[in-house]
Amino acid sequence: MTQPRLALDGRGSPIPPWSLIRAKILELRRRRVLMAVTVAFTVALPVILYGIRLIYHLSDPARYAPAGAPNIFATAGTVMDEFGFIIAVALGATAGTSDLTDGMFRHLVITGRSRVALYLARIPAGLAILASLAAVGFTVVCLVTAFLGSPEPASATAVSAGDMIRSGLWLELDLMIGFTVGLGLGSLMGQRTVPIILLIVLEIIITPPLADHALPPFINGERLIVGVAMDQLKPAALAGGTTVGPGGGPHVLHLPPMPTWAMIAVIAGWIVGWSVIGAWKMATRDA
Amino acid sequence: MTTISRKTDGWAVEVHGLIKRFGTRTAVDNVDLVVPQGSVFGYLGPNGAGKTTLIRVLLGLTRADSGTMSLLGVPVPAQRSHALARVGAIVDEPRFHGHLTGRQNLMILAAARGGDAGSQIEPALDRTRLTQRADDKVSAYSMGMRQRLGLAACLLADPQLLILDEPMNGLDPAGMHEMREMLRSLADEGRTVVLSSHLLDEVERTCDHVAIVDHGKVIRQGPIEELTEGASIAVQVRCSDPAAAARALRPSVDESRISLTDDTLTVTLTAGPAEEQIADINRRLVEAGISVYGSSQTHARLEDWFLSVTSRFGGEQ
Repeated sequence: MTQPRLALDGRGSPIPPWSLIRAKILELRRRRVLMAVTVAFTVALPVILYGIRLIYHLSDPARYAPAGAPNIFATAGTVMDEFGFIIAVALGATAGTSDLTDGMFRHLVITGRSRVALYLARIPAGLAILASLAAVGFTVVCLVTAFLGSPEPASATAVSAGDMIRSGLWLELDLMIGFTVGLGLGSLMGQRTVPIILLIVLEIIITPPLADHALPPFINGERLIVGVAMDQLKPAALAGGTTVGPGGGPHVLHLPPMPTWAMIAVIAGWIVGWSVIGAWKMATRDA
Repeated sequence: MTTISRKTDGWAVEVHGLIKRFGTRTAVDNVDLVVPQGSVFGYLGPNGAGKTTLIRVLLGLTRADSGTMSLLGVPVPAQRSHALARVGAIVDEPRFHGHLTGRQNLMILAAARGGDAGSQIEPALDRTRLTQRADDKVSAYSMGMRQRLGLAACLLADPQLLILDEPMNGLDPAGMHEMREMLRSLADEGRTVVLSSHLLDEVERTCDHVAIVDHGKVIRQGPIEELTEGASIAVQVRCSDPAAAARALRPSVDESRISLTDDTLTVTLTAGPAEEQIADINRRLVEAGISVYGSSQTHARLEDWFLSVTSRFGGEQ
């Protein structure tokens, strides 16, 4: 045993060290089923979608547009958005609960490491996996759009490099929201199934009608739902070409457009709010 | 790197007036506890007595309702991170990420500990004899291997203080022997070991100090020898006719303190000088014409003493 000295090594700091983030990446990356589903939803899905469109186009070019057509770009982006959000929630909820359900939380707390740091380490760790895979999938979408598009000169509806960058960033932001909300809700509830179901219901069932229709009794309160704000921020290229609102979308909007600051406030509120709730629960939970 | 010298003598654990309630139930009831540095300390109590709760409060796994605590002279929970820097602990059954290997689990814990904990992984695996299985998934580990992995996790801290909650649980006799040897060797290095258990025999074999807890209260604490010193002494007398010997003693010895086997009479002595009582028994038997072949005396074992002081076995409160 070495001499008893107490190192002020920053274990009480809420800032997670890189080694802790790397450790969490390792823990998540080794979950084979979760990783397989994540790869399937972020990378394999656009590849399969474009593969099918390519076969259609090659079999009947007159009837089916090239795989890189703008409307296929919008479809691919939407598919990646919907499925990506679900897998982001699942990954977030898993990151938020795996230590607890596997019995590791107790060991981690006993190390003396700040509980907030343990929580915050999960955010870059999960996003590193999710964002990189989504970037690979979206790169496939962009490459097909750029190189397998219409041979005719660029039209007004053609997808530009700027559209691709905006769409990619929007997609990554949407996945980030899914992950942080899943993480926060998972940490709060201490289990992952219910948070995943709740957020799928929010994304698939509740948000679409609220994004398209103003509901007077809500006094526009539906705009506090993150999916509604994100829908208004959606780039035109992903919204099928119609341009409404500062971000360009969504396609058919009956809701009064939100000012940009309001969209940013709602999105930031969801990300920061759920992160604070998750970190608070982590800091106060009995281990 | 800035360092703080830590108190190197005195108490490894110091608890005063600790209370922890769950709703209306008081799990830890105004506990005062001191664990000497360098001791192997047994924290004994029946199941549900509040042993694990006290440990969880000490380690900051749950909050106390009132009281003061310190680990290695550092107050907790105020300076929990500093206090736990040289503390290793297993609480309840050790569980880990089953989809990761033993080594990967230790890597995660070393990353959380920081400092040079990463360099302790191989020595810890080696010491707990897990090196050969370190790259197997934990889901394939036996209970004994998970206990050893838990101990390896403790060793990452190069701990001055080890707090182990029921470390013998689920171990077979060989595993218990192995764990006992390991704990002894850790104590021999000057580390303080706090061992919570309901296995009295294990505590008696492993520990030099003990505290008895029941219904959330610490009933007694101190060195085992001192605690059992005032307890009853039994005298076994091998003689020609134990039944006649019992009859010869009855006028002065209560019947409840006499027991018989084929060739042995056992008398539990009352409080007072043991030598005089043994001499008196011997004299009475010789006067009654009974041949005494030999006699021996045994101090009450920790188990007897434990049963006599814990309330749920009808002893004193």
